[in-house]
Amino acid sequence: MVRFVLKRMLYMLITLFIITSFTFFLMKLLPGSPFNNEEKLTDAQKFILNEKYGLNDPVPVQYFNYMGNLLKGDMGVSFQYDNRPVSTMIAERIGPSAVLGIEATIFGTIIGLILGIVAALRHNTAADYVSSLFAVLGISIPSFVFAGLLQYYVGVKLDWLPVALWDGPKYHVLPALSLSVFVIATVARFMRTEMLEVLGQDYITTAKSKGLSKLVVIYKHSVRNALIPVVTILGPLAINLITGTLIIEKIFAVPGLGYQFVGSITLNDYPVIMATTIFYSVCFIVVILIVDILYGIIDPRIRVAGGKG
Amino acid sequence: MSMREKQLNNDLFQPAVISMEASEKITEESTSFWQDARRRLFENKGSVAGLIIIAVILLFAFLGPVLSQYGFDDQDVSRANLPPRIPVLEKVGFLGIDGVDIRGVNQYEMKNQKDNYYWFGTDALGRDQFVRVWKGTQISLYIAFLAAAIDMVIGVAYGAISGYRGGRTDNIMQRIIEIVIGIPNLIVIILFILILEPGILSITISLVITGWTTMARIVRGQILKLKNQEFVMASQTLGANSSRILTKHMFPNILGSIIITSMFTIPNAIFFEAFLSFIGLGIAPPTASLGSLVNEGFKSLQIYPHLVLYPAVIISLIMISFNLLGDGLRDALDPKMRK
Amino acid sequence: MKKTKWSLLLAIVLVLSVFLSACSGKNDSDGKEKASGTTDGEGSKEKVLNLLETSEIPYLDNIMADDSVSLNVANNVYEGLYTLDDKDQPVPAGITGEPEEKDGGKTWVFKLRDDAVWSNGEKVTANDYVFAWRKAVAKETATQYSFIYQVAGILNADKILNPEDKMYNKTDQLGVKAIDDHTLEVKFSGDTSAKPYLKAVLSFPTFYPQNEKFVKEQGKEFALEADKALYNGPYTLTKWEHEKGWVMKKNEKYWDKKNVKVDTINTNVVKEEATRINLFETGKADRTSISAEYVDQYKDKKDIFSTVPESTVFFLRMNQKNKALANENIRHAIDMGWDKKQLTDVLLNNGSVPAFFLVPSKFVNGPDGADFREKNGDLNKGDAAKAKEYWEKGLKELGTKKVDLTLLNYDSDTAQKDAQFIKNQLEKNLPGLSLKIKPQPFKQKLKLEEKLDYDISYAGWGPDYPDPMTFVDMFITGGSHNEMNYSNKKYDELIKKASAETDLQKRWDMMQEAEKILIEEDAAISPMYQRGLAFITKSNIKNIHNHSFGGDYSYKNWDVQ
Repeated sequence: MVRFVLKRMLYMLITLFIITSFTFFLMKLLPGSPFNNEEKLTDAQKFILNEKYGLNDPVPVQYFNYMGNLLKGDMGVSFQYDNRPVSTMIAERIGPSAVLGIEATIFGTIIGLILGIVAALRHNTAADYVSSLFAVLGISIPSFVFAGLLQYYVGVKLDWLPVALWDGPKYHVLPALSLSVFVIATVARFMRTEMLEVLGQDYITTAKSKGLSKLVVIYKHSVRNALIPVVTILGPLAINLITGTLIIEKIFAVPGLGYQFVGSITLNDYPVIMATTIFYSVCFIVVILIVDILYGIIDPRIRVAGGKG
Repeated sequence: MSMREKQLNNDLFQPAVISMEASEKITEESTSFWQDARRRLFENKGSVAGLIIIAVILLFAFLGPVLSQYGFDDQDVSRANLPPRIPVLEKVGFLGIDGVDIRGVNQYEMKNQKDNYYWFGTDALGRDQFVRVWKGTQISLYIAFLAAAIDMVIGVAYGAISGYRGGRTDNIMQRIIEIVIGIPNLIVIILFILILEPGILSITISLVITGWTTMARIVRGQILKLKNQEFVMASQTLGANSSRILTKHMFPNILGSIIITSMFTIPNAIFFEAFLSFIGLGIAPPTASLGSLVNEGFKSLQIYPHLVLYPAVIISLIMISFNLLGDGLRDALDPKMRK
Repeated sequence: MKKTKWSLLLAIVLVLSVFLSACSGKNDSDGKEKASGTTDGEGSKEKVLNLLETSEIPYLDNIMADDSVSLNVANNVYEGLYTLDDKDQPVPAGITGEPEEKDGGKTWVFKLRDDAVWSNGEKVTANDYVFAWRKAVAKETATQYSFIYQVAGILNADKILNPEDKMYNKTDQLGVKAIDDHTLEVKFSGDTSAKPYLKAVLSFPTFYPQNEKFVKEQGKEFALEADKALYNGPYTLTKWEHEKGWVMKKNEKYWDKKNVKVDTINTNVVKEEATRINLFETGKADRTSISAEYVDQYKDKKDIFSTVPESTVFFLRMNQKNKALANENIRHAIDMGWDKKQLTDVLLNNGSVPAFFLVPSKFVNGPDGADFREKNGDLNKGDAAKAKEYWEKGLKELGTKKVDLTLLNYDSDTAQKDAQFIKNQLEKNLPGLSLKIKPQPFKQKLKLEEKLDYDISYAGWGPDYPDPMTFVDMFITGGSHNEMNYSNKKYDELIKKASAETDLQKRWDMMQEAEKILIEEDAAISPMYQRGLAFITKSNIKNIHNHSFGGDYSYKNWDVQ
């Protein structure tokens, strides 16, 4: 296992290197300069500004400079927010995004699992239909519509919770709830399908006929085996939520990473694009690694390392 | 007890005349796998309902624009933002389709449009929303089918190969997925739009590039799970080749997951398109998709709710019916579900 | 199996803790909210304003400020020689009175006020101005607004900023000198009487002073946080949470603090319009701008709804590299071929007015006291029939029946709607025209314009200084903002003469003539509208005024009742 993880770590570095390089060159293909008010700058001004940020150098030179600094741990300063180090910018923004993402993932997974399991155990009954309908609605309603409705009815009309802004736990409820709808729907759907499949397997019949209690059959034999696809999808889903979602952050005015990232792309804020991409990729690759390890723990029949295992 | 005392001797036994063929004789009409599946699909009320809704929506998507006297880009700002009004039904007050807006003003009288009926109302440019919604449905359905197809072809094949081959192949293929996911797709999409101009083609290509990874990972996970199961090993021992094992033994077993994943791909694709419209990179106006209509209409939710209501209801109907159909399909095709 | 149980237990504990923290949190923040709620005016003395912004402050350094949020903050926490009053007229701020003019108006000597201090107690000295101005034109600073020094005509600014000049980056050559602590001498390159807008330009944040010692101490950290800057304006920035919001408090050391009425100004960053309106509805915000969709909802509520005309003009650029658009009649037809009034009244619906001009109305008055628009009025105004006439004439000259054009557009929702309207109108009124809309991300749109790789483009221009010149000098041959291959010798001549003319009336007439040539004769652009902004504001907030350039507001004048 240790060898496997170490090997994967090495691959991780290679993957990261490729992602970083690719993104760097793709990003340089985006037109225009990273400066505000670009439409008002004269050529001489553009020259001076480019000089300041080293953008007059040929792209390969910029690339090596960037990679060199990166190895030293220097991710540069933002072009949009003068002189502000990119690393602090990300550190400041990741907090709210991560808190919201984790809350939504935990809440969503638990509710989703319950809904999915209930639906499968009560297959083709009212409980099944209600939970399926909920799941379908959860993925059919665009998140901004759901968030907007929540904000308007719970925030403005009922005045139960703050409409937006980010000032303490009370402010988390609406955005986390909006985010979790998709998680609930996804987890419930996958769990239901997998449970149905598992419940039809011979070993469940065996377990039942052995006279094991229903709870043990459900827990020990069904749920664990049904978790595989849920785990597969949950990892990346959690990362997407934790690294911030543009729309929810925008609607609830949460100072998170998602909006900043999209903004940096449309404004050509190169250092921020690069740093966020790296951050996101690291999270993602680590989660995939964890998922792969979990495969083996949840279902010992799967040998991740391929070959001998 | 007395039975025991009875002596058994060979005379009591005679060889029976059994023809091997007779015992194997098929008396029922034979049904192929697909016939069987179809039968079970139509037995499922949910999936039939789903099929009917999809058929109706498809019908309207193509007929709807013809039914109205207006084109999808016929503007007249003097009739902007009219609430919906349908002949006959307008008499039924509680339906809310009598041309009276939420402030209680009959806009048709206000704007001198008494003789006109806009079934879904009009938008800010005075365009007939009925035509726009159905035109949008065409585009959204196209995107939905396209996304599902990409998933089925690229995603399933990629995941299956990666999971089944395992070892080095799997390793490399999974790293490629990580790279595809790691590079911000917004950058890639913007670049495509620069080369190809915004529109249906750029959306198609962005979907092809980024849309298949989830499916590939799910399928790989499932294949990994199945690979070491007894029936696969048995089949291997009996000399079945890889393609036979994949198509005959594994594929039917992962069909459930594939269908469920597709059911997520479809709304994701529709919303992905809406997201692109949201940041101004979607369908080029004046064409609209359901996603961009919802997006636009949502802003006037509080004052012109009809603009968001109809496209949102149709998106939801499409999703629900696809899901019902998907559930039915899975039950019909999955051999383990056969009773 | 044990693992599963443990993880389940862990999950349950986690959920419980989240719920518990959420519940207990509720009580905490409820308490907090009440505390801040009572400060809302009535009864207690403290006057609080709660405002919203759509973006974070990009630059707290007044010299770097180049966007509306930064400029607005700079305008309120710092102060320079002049500031704008609520009629947009420059009034002395950091100086005791009008300057003494020498060398026939080429040198101005300012007396700084004694009682102007930085928030650390040090006096604002003439040296602080010299330091800041030199910093602004330095190559290393590379601020976008360095060009404002050229606009003001500060001696040698143009040479210091020109990479090809010998004097490039020799900032000590800039025409500014500290005679003593409270006397500042500024030299200009030309006759200042040719620049009636000069004092207003000096009120721009790029001309504000900076405390040399403090800036050097802070180094790279300067102005990155609220406590990493010194303030000398009516307010000080006391709290700044990036991307979330900031708090400004009345500056107790400010020389004119008795005239500052509002004590605390809280600003939150909220990007989504619906959210801003919901915050307004729940009393968490006192003022917000609203777009066309919401105007219908609020326009009847007279006590809170208002529209403010801006000085930004939007227009269609017509690229004369295109064969069809090089034809004058075609351009006339396109300008006349759509209904500008419907666009502003029905689609924009926010106080924007149809534009038949380049220089906006209510922007500046001439030497005779009359608005620029009074003499020139509406240019190239016509109707669909007239447009068709021009169009057919144009087609005949081109020898074609069909013209295919693309309209390069912004990617915002409102711009998309405007473009669809224009497309529909033009295609209806000008038979044979097919107009394709091509929305592009902002940066890409700029690039395409720069490369002249477009047919028609939806563009806008806001003034950089209060003078028509900021608009009309855009279209001189080869100008970096011309970007449509327009060239007219007579036009160039007029602009060149006007920039040097010291007879202000003559200068004014020349600019008016130039505008006439541009639009009425050449139809080089098709003006669309002069933008307006619609706001909803709580009725207890008084004395609000939008400045037409520089920072948007001077909170100093605002009041809460």
